[in-house]
Amino acid sequence: MAVTTTRSARSVAATGSVRARKMADALATGVLWAMASSIIVLLAAFLLYMVYLGGHALTPSFIFGVPKETTAGGGVGPEIYNSFYILVLTLLFTVPIAVAAGVYIQEYARPGTFRNVVQFSAESLATVPSVVMGLFGLLVFVYLFKWKFTALGGALTLTLLNLPALMRVTQEALSSVPDTLREASMALGGTKWQTITRVVLPSAIGRLTTGVVLIAGRIFGETAALIFTAGLSVPFNNPYDLNPMRPAETLAVHLWYTHSESIVPDVDRIGNGSALVLLIMVLLFNVAARVLGRQLTKRFTGRAS
Amino acid sequence: MIETVPQTLETATDKIVARDVNVFYGTFQAIKHASLTMKDQHVTALIGPSGCGKSTFIRALNRMHDLTPGARVEGTILLDGEDIYGPDADPVVIRHRIGMVFQRPNPFPKTIYENVVYGPRIHGERDKSKLDEIAERALRQAALWDEVKDRMQRSALDLSGGQQQRLCIARAVALNPEVILMDEPASALDPIATSKIEDLIGQLTDHYTVVIVTHSMQQAARISDFTAFFHLGEIVEVGPTSQIFTHPKEKRTEDYITGRFG
Amino acid sequence: MIALQARRSRRTERIAVTGLRIAAGFVILAMAALLGYLAFEGTKTFYVDKFPLWSFLFSPEFAPDANHPGAAVFVTGTLAVTLFAIAIGGPFGIAVGIFLAEIAPHRMTQVLKPAIEVMVGIPSVVYGWLGLTLLVPLIRTHTSSPSGFGLAAAGIVLAIMILPTVITLSEDAFRSLPGALKEGSLALGATRWQTITRVLLPSASSGLAVALILGIARAVGETLAIQMVIGNATQFPKGLFAPTAALTTEIVTDMPGATAGSLLEHALFSMAFLLLLIAMVLIVMVRFALRRRA
Repeated sequence: MAVTTTRSARSVAATGSVRARKMADALATGVLWAMASSIIVLLAAFLLYMVYLGGHALTPSFIFGVPKETTAGGGVGPEIYNSFYILVLTLLFTVPIAVAAGVYIQEYARPGTFRNVVQFSAESLATVPSVVMGLFGLLVFVYLFKWKFTALGGALTLTLLNLPALMRVTQEALSSVPDTLREASMALGGTKWQTITRVVLPSAIGRLTTGVVLIAGRIFGETAALIFTAGLSVPFNNPYDLNPMRPAETLAVHLWYTHSESIVPDVDRIGNGSALVLLIMVLLFNVAARVLGRQLTKRFTGRAS
Repeated sequence: MIETVPQTLETATDKIVARDVNVFYGTFQAIKHASLTMKDQHVTALIGPSGCGKSTFIRALNRMHDLTPGARVEGTILLDGEDIYGPDADPVVIRHRIGMVFQRPNPFPKTIYENVVYGPRIHGERDKSKLDEIAERALRQAALWDEVKDRMQRSALDLSGGQQQRLCIARAVALNPEVILMDEPASALDPIATSKIEDLIGQLTDHYTVVIVTHSMQQAARISDFTAFFHLGEIVEVGPTSQIFTHPKEKRTEDYITGRFG
Repeated sequence: MIALQARRSRRTERIAVTGLRIAAGFVILAMAALLGYLAFEGTKTFYVDKFPLWSFLFSPEFAPDANHPGAAVFVTGTLAVTLFAIAIGGPFGIAVGIFLAEIAPHRMTQVLKPAIEVMVGIPSVVYGWLGLTLLVPLIRTHTSSPSGFGLAAAGIVLAIMILPTVITLSEDAFRSLPGALKEGSLALGATRWQTITRVLLPSASSGLAVALILGIARAVGETLAIQMVIGNATQFPKGLFAPTAALTTEIVTDMPGATAGSLLEHALFSMAFLLLLIAMVLIVMVRFALRRRA
């Protein structure tokens, strides 16, 4: 009988503290729910607030118009054009280099000094503040190469800035491809290069594309690295110039410039409108990343994921 | 300390009674209509080929399936006559009363001492001298005291695999549970560590009811009083261990213990 | 026929590997060039202009025209806003990381994760603009601050901006813990919250350290968002709501007007070099924390 008494006494003692512990658990869970929800609420509030502020600015004359230096009513057409122009240039350099470096590290490089140094360099490059990268671009492209402020200099600076991120995306996309696929291709007599180009990369293309488009969104909104490399102006005579060797103020840079340096009277209208356009572009890039990634995965691997 | 009342196979009371238990993972039914009675202060062994559902069944006994998304348990499991899946049942209390030792040793990355007193601490025990007392008793019961008494503040991760597993037993025992569930506790250990754990299980029945999953028939034969044979999610046969291993009633049981399958 | 084919694929293979290796080498080259060039330009303050390093770091008087570019104000400003941001964004981010890894049901994850991704994508200038139009007026009306610009505005904007980094990395830290730890604790009758605070948090500590360090790295390097709200006054922060400046904001504020070869320009490059060194120290710390985990 002694057994029973000891046990029930213990159970009672335990039940006393159980209530307090469960209360603490419920309370903590509630607080964490509230914190997580507040992020969603905050973000939604930001978006709505920007629509409220900048919605009326979104007129054709704003989106396609030419900026004015001293008077009200300027548009941001050339800036939007420049943002896309620099984005395309940057991707043209970044994608081949980053994917190649990522493939090398993930598929070819054996553990050793070279691989370690590449990875350490990539990690370091990834934490370089964008303003520091901007100054490096200034030193190399503006001072050393004597290009002055150019779209090309801006794009090359952004290439350095985004190289590590895209390299990482490549490595992750490749590592998600199961080894059995590689083995199957090699067992059929394929060389490593054939295996990578015909089997591994097509299987990874969905994830890779998602990553590229998300990074494209970041490039589109990049500012600090461009102020000292692509400059704060657009060509006066030919704002939609295709020549990469000319200054190219992007939309994000324009937003900063308008606020801090410009003397036009309708700073708020231009700022609000530019901020809203940038936000919309970010959302579009995010949606596109998902949709494209899913489509390509389906097309190249025949399955949805 | 709990006084022990020696009980024989015949007079032992029912500690856990499982009636018509079904476990589902999504739409897959892993346990089908399993009924089993586990006697107080005895060892019940669950045996069967891998994938037969024995681990799934033991995890139903302390509501570990609550943690698995998509897992669902049906039927009745009574602990001293109370339904552990009943509306008033609290998994936190149930797991206090029913301890568990896992397949692989899973000590926390803390000191040996902190591992043993983790249970009492989270259940509200703050008195240092009482915690010391509990730690010593638990480690003695787990036959680990002599090996670790001089290095209680060292990391539990420095212990060998067998010591880690006995530490996990001590950690369970420290809460003074009524039942200890063991899910293949020796499967990751070498033969010497295994025999230590087996000796230990024999002593644990002085105080506790033990339910053990094992893939080793010899182990079941050595340490258990009752054996239940699982196959394809069903309990094929259950009875006193000596009878199951010498005179199985079912053809499938006989095939398994004579090594014809599994 | 087969032999010819094989020879051809072997050649392709060799060319391909060389190309890939060059791309990987380019990464090293880029980092080395960046480090070397900035070290060269960033130390001219000391070996061309003969301004002592000690005064650069610790003198609060920033007067390049008078040959005295002390950067202590900016160093302090960077430290202060970073501390502010990590003090708020750090715990908040870890908490949400816990939520995502241990508590959030699937549906909530599916909303929260894309929201965090959008936060990552929002350009720095847009955060700055939001701070300028929303936060600064709010601080102006509700505190004694006459302008609303200053440390608090910059710190809050930064705290929000580092959240995605801290959340994602701390979620990873929790997800990479073996499930056996959680099971072991719950099987002893611990509640979920007890399991989180007593077992999971301490076990994930090195992963969480990485999350915080990379959050700090992001905060230290962030430029335009805080440049638009910090006030850009060359003075120590005289309180949470007083204007000040940081290393990054000072570079952006004064670089466009700096003459090539002037002491001002040299000093700004020195600040950029200092920022680069801080980033590299943080990366080494991350490596150290990760090695401890392994």
